[in-house]
Amino acid sequence: MSWSKLPSRTQRTALLLLVLVAALLLQACAPAATAPDDGQEAAVPAGPVVNTLGKELPADAAPLDQQVLVYPYNGWRTFTTIDFFQAVYERADSLTDLLSDALVRLDKDFQVNPGAATEWSVDESGLVWTFKLDPNLMWNDGTPVTADDYVATFRYGADPEHAWDFSWYYQGVIRNWTQAVAGEVPVEEIGVRAVDAQTLEFTTEAPAPFLPAMLVYSATFQKAALEAHGGLYNSNPETSVSAGPYQLVEWTKDQRLVYAINPDYKGTNVPYIERIVVVNIGQPSQLMPAYEANEIDFVNGGGTLSPADLEIIGADPDLNAQYHPHYGDFRTYYFAFDTSQPPFDNLLVRQAFAHVLDRETILANVVKRQGMAAYSFLMPGFPAANSSAHQETYAFNVEGAQQLLAEAGYPNGEGFPKLTLKLRAEGPTPLAVAQAYAAALKESLGIEVEVNNMDFKAFMDELNAKPTGVQFTLISYGMDYLDPSNMLGVFLSGGRHPWSNAEYDSLVRDASSFTGDPAERVQMFQEAETILVNDAAFVFAYHQTPGDLIKPYLKGPALEPDANGVAAWHWPGFSSFSNLLSGVYISNEVSNYRQAPD
Amino acid sequence: MARYLFGRLAGIVIVFWIVSVVIFLLMHAIPGGPYNEDKVPLTAEAKANYLRKYGLDRPLVEQYLLYMGNVLRGDFGVPFQSPTESVAGLIARTWPVSASLGLAALLVALPAGLLLGILAAARQNSWVDYLASATATLGLTVPNFVVAVWLVLLLAVQLKWLPTGGWGEWYHYIMPVTALALAPLALTARYTRTSILEVVRSDYVRTARSKGLSDRQILLRHTLRNAMIPLLTILAPQIPNLITGTIFIESIFRVPGLGKFFVSSILGRDYPMIMALLLLVAVLWSLVYLITDLLYTLVDPRVRLEGKKS
Repeated sequence: MSWSKLPSRTQRTALLLLVLVAALLLQACAPAATAPDDGQEAAVPAGPVVNTLGKELPADAAPLDQQVLVYPYNGWRTFTTIDFFQAVYERADSLTDLLSDALVRLDKDFQVNPGAATEWSVDESGLVWTFKLDPNLMWNDGTPVTADDYVATFRYGADPEHAWDFSWYYQGVIRNWTQAVAGEVPVEEIGVRAVDAQTLEFTTEAPAPFLPAMLVYSATFQKAALEAHGGLYNSNPETSVSAGPYQLVEWTKDQRLVYAINPDYKGTNVPYIERIVVVNIGQPSQLMPAYEANEIDFVNGGGTLSPADLEIIGADPDLNAQYHPHYGDFRTYYFAFDTSQPPFDNLLVRQAFAHVLDRETILANVVKRQGMAAYSFLMPGFPAANSSAHQETYAFNVEGAQQLLAEAGYPNGEGFPKLTLKLRAEGPTPLAVAQAYAAALKESLGIEVEVNNMDFKAFMDELNAKPTGVQFTLISYGMDYLDPSNMLGVFLSGGRHPWSNAEYDSLVRDASSFTGDPAERVQMFQEAETILVNDAAFVFAYHQTPGDLIKPYLKGPALEPDANGVAAWHWPGFSSFSNLLSGVYISNEVSNYRQAPD
Repeated sequence: MARYLFGRLAGIVIVFWIVSVVIFLLMHAIPGGPYNEDKVPLTAEAKANYLRKYGLDRPLVEQYLLYMGNVLRGDFGVPFQSPTESVAGLIARTWPVSASLGLAALLVALPAGLLLGILAAARQNSWVDYLASATATLGLTVPNFVVAVWLVLLLAVQLKWLPTGGWGEWYHYIMPVTALALAPLALTARYTRTSILEVVRSDYVRTARSKGLSDRQILLRHTLRNAMIPLLTILAPQIPNLITGTIFIESIFRVPGLGKFFVSSILGRDYPMIMALLLLVAVLWSLVYLITDLLYTLVDPRVRLEGKKS
C-alpha cells in the first residue's frame, strides 16, 4: 500500500490536499499584519513642529507622520456623497463636509462663530441678511471662493430636478424656497443672491433671528465644478475640488476614504491633523474589537455601542476613562399618540398613560448612562430648556393613572383596545425602554401592548400617511441648529404628528420670528412647551446622552471641558460645521498604541 | 444531449422572466420608497420631485417594460445607493470579491470534508470517527457569524496576529474563509461518512472485494464514486450561496463584497439593485441545478438525461 501504487490522478489530489493543509498552517502561523514602521527613526526635531499649513503643534504632539486620525464610518450601506447639499441621508455618517467652509461654525458650547463669513447683519425689517465672505478663501484649482458659489449651491438645493432630501430645512425660511421646490418659480428667484463677489444676501419669508445658526449647513459647492460634473463631483478625487481644510485623495468604495490636509487652504479653521483615514466598519458590533485592537481612534457611541459594550466599558477602568458622554444632538425620545382618533383623542387617557411612565426605574435599569430623564422636550442645556418646571406635571403615580383611566371610561383597562407600540428600526436601548413601558401599561392599567420594531422606511411611510397609520410610538428627534424654533417646530400642525394646537402653533411661530428681547423670546417658547407637556399628546421619556470612545492620545482644546464641564467630541463633530476640526491633535502617547497608519 | 441542454436553457429564460415580474411587483408593494423623510414628512411636491428623478412617477407597467427593455440591451440601470457607477459596474466590482472568498471556502471545505468523512467511515466508531463527528456537528450547529466573532476576539483582539478586518492582502482571507468553510466542511464530512458506510455494505462492493481488489481500490473506484451522488445533491446548492457572499461574514470582516447589497438594497428600496441581484441569484441557481444534473450522468452511468431512449 505505497503511494507509488496510487493512480496518478488520485496522487495529484492527495498532493493538492497536502499543499492546502500546509498553506493553511502557514497562514495561521504567519506574523500579524502590522503597519510598516517607517518614521520610527525620525529624529526629534529641535524647536516647534509646524504642519503643512504652518500651524504649530503643541509640545506633546506626535510627529507629523502620526498626525493621522483613523475614524470609522458605518459601512452598512454604500454611501453616495460627502456633501450635505447633495444628499444628507446618503452621506457617510461621519467625516463629511470637509471640502469647503460653511458660512458659520459651532464651537464646543454650540455657539455660532464666523466661518466662511467673517461678519453678518440684518436690516431693519429683519428680513434681509448680509453675509460678508472671507476674501482669502480659494479653491485649490487657484480660483477664488465667491458668493456665486454659495448662490449656486442654494439654488441646487431648491432645484426640483435635484430633489434634495433636506429641502424641507430651508422651507418657509428662505424666501421663495418652498415655491422653487414645488416648481412654481425658477430657482433663480429664491432669496439668496450675490451682491458682489464677497457679499451674500439672504431674504427670509418672515424675520428669522435664528438664520445664522441655521446656516451651519451651508458648506458650498464650487459653481464651476457643479456645472461641469454635477453634484457628485466630490465622489471622485479626479473631479473633486476643495476650498476646505482637507482634500479628497482616495475613495475606495465600501472600504475607505482618505483625506489629506489641503495645502492651499486659506480659511480660519486650520487643523493640526495632517491626514484622515475613514474606514468602513460594517457591523456596529465590530467597532469595539477594532478600537481595542488599536485600528481606529474613535467610536461614535450614539446608537452604536450596545448595552453589552457599555458593560465591558464600565468594568474596565482604562476604557471607562476613554468613554465621554455628551449631549449629542440634544435628542429626546418620546412616546407619541395619534390624538386624532379614539382612544387617544381623550385627554384623560393620555394623562393616565403619562402617569405610568416610571422614568427613574427605566433610567436606572435600561438607559443607564446613555440618557437622562426627560420631563419635557428641550434637554437641559438647550436654549429655553425648562425641564425642572415640568418634573411634577406627570409624576409617576399608578393610582392616579388608574383613576384617570376609569374616569375616561376604561376601569382597569376594560374595553380598552389592544395597542401596537411601533418603533422605527430602533437599537437595543429604545427597544428595551418600549418593552418596559408596555409591561408597565399591562401591569398598572391592564392594557395589552405589543411592541413592533419596524423596518425604517415602512414605519415612516405609515407615520406620514394621512391619516397616520401609527397610533402609538416611541420615537426621537435631535436638533439641526441651536434654537428652540428648530426643536419645537417638529410639533407644529401638519408636521410629524397628527396633534394640532392652534395656541401652540402661534406661540412657536411668533417666538421664532421674534426679534425683540431674547429673554421674552425664551419665555414665549417656554409657554409653548408647557402646552405641549400639559396636553400629554407626547410623553417625554429620556434625553439621549451618547458616549463616544476616544483614545487618550487624541488631545486639544476642543476636547477640554466646555462651559458645563463636559469634555467630549461635541456635535456636529469633525467637519467644517465645527471648530472641533481645528482643535484636535495626536499626542506622542500614540506610539504606545499604534504605528503611523498607511 | 444538445436538445436537452437547449430545453433546459430555454427553461432558464422563462424562469428569468417569471422571476422578474414577481420581484418587480413585490418590491414595489413594500411600503416606503428610496426617498428619505426621516425628520419631517416631505411636502407632496418634494416627494413628487424625487419620484420623477428616478422615473418612479410612471405607471408600473411602463416602468417594468422600460426596465426590461434596458436589460435586454445589457443596461441594468444605476443603483440609487451608488449613483456614480452602474448596477453592472457595482456587481462587477463586488461580486469577484465575494466569489473569491466563496471559492476559497469551497476549496478548503470540500477536500477537508471529504478527508474527514472518509477517515471517519474507514475507522468507524473509533476516536477518529468521534472527533470527525464532533467537528462536523459543531460546524453545522454554530452559525458562521458566531465563529467569525470568536475568530476576531481570539486572533485579532487577544493574540493580535491579524487585523480585525479589511481587504487587499492575503491574510485578510484567513478568518472569513475559516468561518465560511466550516459549515460546508461539516456537511461534506457527514454526508461522505454516511454515504460510504451505506455503499460499503452493498453487493457490488462485496463482489469487488471477492475479486481481490485492495481496500484502497474499492474505496476509490467503487465506494467513493457512488457515495458522491447524495453528496452532489447536498453540496451543489451551497455553491450559489457561497459565491454570492454573505452579509454577516462580509460586514464583520469588512470585506467589500456583494453580500451586504442583498440587505442594503431592500432596506434602501434600491429598486434597480434589488432586481439585478435577485435575477442574478435566479440564473445562478438555475445554472447550478443544470450543472448538477449533468454531473449525475458522470458519476452514475445509470442516469440518462433524455430518458426513454433505451
